[in-house]
Amino acid sequence: MSPRDILAAALKEKRFKLLEHEAFQIIKYYGIPSPEVVVVKSPAEAVELADKIGYPIALKIVSPDITHKSDVGGVKLGLKSREEVGKAVEEMLRTVSLKAPNARLVGVLMYNMAPQGLEVIVGGVRDGIFGPVIMFGLGGIFVEVLKDVSFRIAPITRNDALGMLNEIKSSKILEGYRGQPPVDKEAIADIIVKTARLMEENPEIESIDLNPVMAYPKGAIAVDARIILKQG
Amino acid sequence: MLDSFFNPRSVAIVGATPKEGKVGRVILENFIKKYKGRIYPVNPGYNEIMGLKCYRSVSELPETPDLAIIVVPAPSVPEVLRELGEKGCKAVIIISGGFKETGTPEGERLEHEIKELAVKYGIRIIGPNCIGIFDNWSGVDTFFLPEEKMKRPPKGYVAFISQSGAFASALMDWMAYNNIGVSRAISYGNKIDVDDIDLLEYLAGDDKTKVILVYLEGLKNARGRMFIETARRVSMVKPVLVFKAGKTSRGSLAAASHTAALAGNYSLYRSAFKQAGVIEVESFDEMMDAVRILLDQPLMNGNRVYVVTDAGGVGVMLTDALTVQGFELPRTPPDLKEELRKILPPHCIVENPIDLTGDTDDERYIKVLEKVLPRSDVDAVVVVALPQVPGIKGGLADYLIEAKNKYMKPVIVISIGGEEAIKLARKLQENGVTVFESPERAAKALKVLYTYSRIKSNIQG
Repeated sequence: MSPRDILAAALKEKRFKLLEHEAFQIIKYYGIPSPEVVVVKSPAEAVELADKIGYPIALKIVSPDITHKSDVGGVKLGLKSREEVGKAVEEMLRTVSLKAPNARLVGVLMYNMAPQGLEVIVGGVRDGIFGPVIMFGLGGIFVEVLKDVSFRIAPITRNDALGMLNEIKSSKILEGYRGQPPVDKEAIADIIVKTARLMEENPEIESIDLNPVMAYPKGAIAVDARIILKQG
Repeated sequence: MLDSFFNPRSVAIVGATPKEGKVGRVILENFIKKYKGRIYPVNPGYNEIMGLKCYRSVSELPETPDLAIIVVPAPSVPEVLRELGEKGCKAVIIISGGFKETGTPEGERLEHEIKELAVKYGIRIIGPNCIGIFDNWSGVDTFFLPEEKMKRPPKGYVAFISQSGAFASALMDWMAYNNIGVSRAISYGNKIDVDDIDLLEYLAGDDKTKVILVYLEGLKNARGRMFIETARRVSMVKPVLVFKAGKTSRGSLAAASHTAALAGNYSLYRSAFKQAGVIEVESFDEMMDAVRILLDQPLMNGNRVYVVTDAGGVGVMLTDALTVQGFELPRTPPDLKEELRKILPPHCIVENPIDLTGDTDDERYIKVLEKVLPRSDVDAVVVVALPQVPGIKGGLADYLIEAKNKYMKPVIVISIGGEEAIKLARKLQENGVTVFESPERAAKALKVLYTYSRIKSNIQG
């Protein structure tokens, strides 16, 4: 399905927060690196796909009615074999239907876990005056506590995006510190530019958070995507 | 398109009155004093005002005025606007208040009505609830503050756009006091039509404007991108300085995402200014210093600054201030050192900041500057001239005035002190050499000049 179809379907069902796999499909369409995700309905289906996806595997329950997935047993991480995956899916479906009996369950999202990198955040929001605005920051306390982020108003060029990386106060961390190698700035800039395009081409989207994006010495990958649609 | 506002051949003043102290009187007086075109007072109560024939209504005017100024009470404005529309007038300044800013349904309704009339008749509107335009070159002056209360600045090359009428008035008075020339000033009040973007566009093409100042509280909805695009274009032609008021945000309400929560109003404006190549200033002083340096100094090719001083202490302060602003103070290169050694007494310091010490005279400064200024590895020179030293008599000032044009690179002066310092500063400034009272202000202003030099040469920073 194209982003247009996904957005139209969600709006038709009056869902203003896209399901995780829908958000991943949209960012993938725009060429933003992200894990291959599948939604499975049964343990058998999961077991069958596990080898192909590769380990470690993460599982997340997919439901328009569940916001805090881990509270209802809807998240399992670091699964290392077919057996573990099969058992985990079975258990998840059982626990979730016990703890959230009224929730509609679409299935279980399954994907290969990206290795730990430097966590950064790329986000977009639609402003009344400026239209789509893109944000960049480092993950964790840098965003939460220090609010050390930079913004640009779309459309943005690659140069703008690199400027955003250099503008934050903690930008030195991107260059590598305490023996950490420098991260791939070009790859992050690429994600920023693509996020801006995504916001521009889809006016239904109110905001997007790619949080975190794992940045590596070579490449970067959005391991979580949250897309909120405009209401009304 | 907006030229009728600034260079009208005829003007109707609807609500003109002979009554002392009234807005309609001050504006009419302003026009009679300075404006060379045809003036038509409109007021049903008079046959003549201040020696001019007065018309009972717009429809009775002998011609279509290029510009109309409305000062009648808000409830009568729609009717006047309709008559102006029928008459074919295309540019209107509505001074009157009593519209949306009152927060009343009636005010809201009236504003909506005039908006619709403007669209219907294709009229461009500045205002309502504004002080309008002060144009030093054409004599259009709707600033209704009488001259004895608000001095008018001399004719010159600084234009400003202000969302606040009070700020515009204060700025005018201040610039008059400091003898900084103004080309045109606009305060647009509720900006139901003409806004910052239209005005920037107009001023970009205005050959009487060399520097544009903008006092901004907020842009109209959905105009952000247009502002960036326009300001970017304008900045390539002439510098745009912006003072943004309303920097603290109330915080986003129930923000649905991280990004929304962090995208405070002001942080977006800051990014927008950066993307637009607009230079933000943070105080009145900074704004004026920036204006002066941009008006008088050539652009910089790089960020290497040399200091020539008669006071070691000020040299150190200046070094700090310049470094904080990101300037490089290179060590004096060996060849220059050698040359300076030859012409300076042994107790002088040839290392940058070059210290001529308190026993210097005009001649010593001139000899050193003649070595420093022509060098291609020098991008700007700051001369600290504390006039309290006995050797400074006036020759230095004459030299600096000449040197600035000769070497086409910024030469700015720091002069600290009382009467003597002010005398020196005045002489220099009247002749286009920028003077500052403190190292910090000089460094900040030079930074603005450098930033604009970079914007103009299109290097992203």
